[in-house]
Amino acid sequence: MAENNQQGCLFVGEGVTLKGSFDIPDIASISGCLEGEITAKQIVIEASGSVRGKVIGEMVDIRGELTEHLTATRSLIIRSTGIVNGAIHYAEIEIEKGGQFRGDIHIIDDSQGPR
Amino acid sequence: MFSIISPNRDLPNTADELDENLAEETFDSAEEMTSEENSSEDDLAHHPRVPLKPTIISEGFEFVGTITSNGAVHIAGLVKGKITANSVLIEAEGEVDGEMMTDRLMVKGSARGDIHCKELNIGPRAVVDGIVSYQNMHIQRGGQISGTFKKN
Repeated sequence: MAENNQQGCLFVGEGVTLKGSFDIPDIASISGCLEGEITAKQIVIEASGSVRGKVIGEMVDIRGELTEHLTATRSLIIRSTGIVNGAIHYAEIEIEKGGQFRGDIHIIDDSQGPR
Repeated sequence: MFSIISPNRDLPNTADELDENLAEETFDSAEEMTSEENSSEDDLAHHPRVPLKPTIISEGFEFVGTITSNGAVHIAGLVKGKITANSVLIEAEGEVDGEMMTDRLMVKGSARGDIHCKELNIGPRAVVDGIVSYQNMHIQRGGQISGTFKKN
């Protein structure tokens, strides 16, 4: 899907390490290592990917590892290989069998959550 | 088992006495059968003396206190207190407020409080709030969870 139109997208390949603050209008696909703050419409952390820091997205799909803070304003899926450690704020969640989560979790109220 | 004192002692081989003897014999063998069945099922479950039928707290029933069971507990009513069981199913209408210790927990309704389990399954319309420790979990899309999660 993202391969057709890469405008506004960020791809972090396996073996790549990025540090900093990122504002991505469309899709962020992370197979490498990312540290810092990341805001995107759609965030996919691939199985080989790991993110440490603050992650904010509408739709978040986790197959890799995420540590610290995550906000998903629309939907959040933690796949069977996904591991999340830290705080989560979500509107809708699904955790596949085998998916792991340690930390605090909160539901975003429809009234205050950005849609 | 042949020591039955029959009222017709003078007539030992009456039909009555024979019937009684037969009845006792069949009862004994039936008992043996069930105990054998149980032991084979114990092997399957790897757990001694697991009752096969679940304990059911029906809809509209409110229970306050402690439930302890080696088997399954199905809750469609309201339970306030502590539940310790091999497996717990909270039905869509069911509600639990308190502490739960179980190997397998399936939540379709709502659960509040401390939850300790090995297998956690949360249905799409379930609401879970509290401190949850688990080994394996599956949360179906739409399930609402809040609180603190720990993996054992």
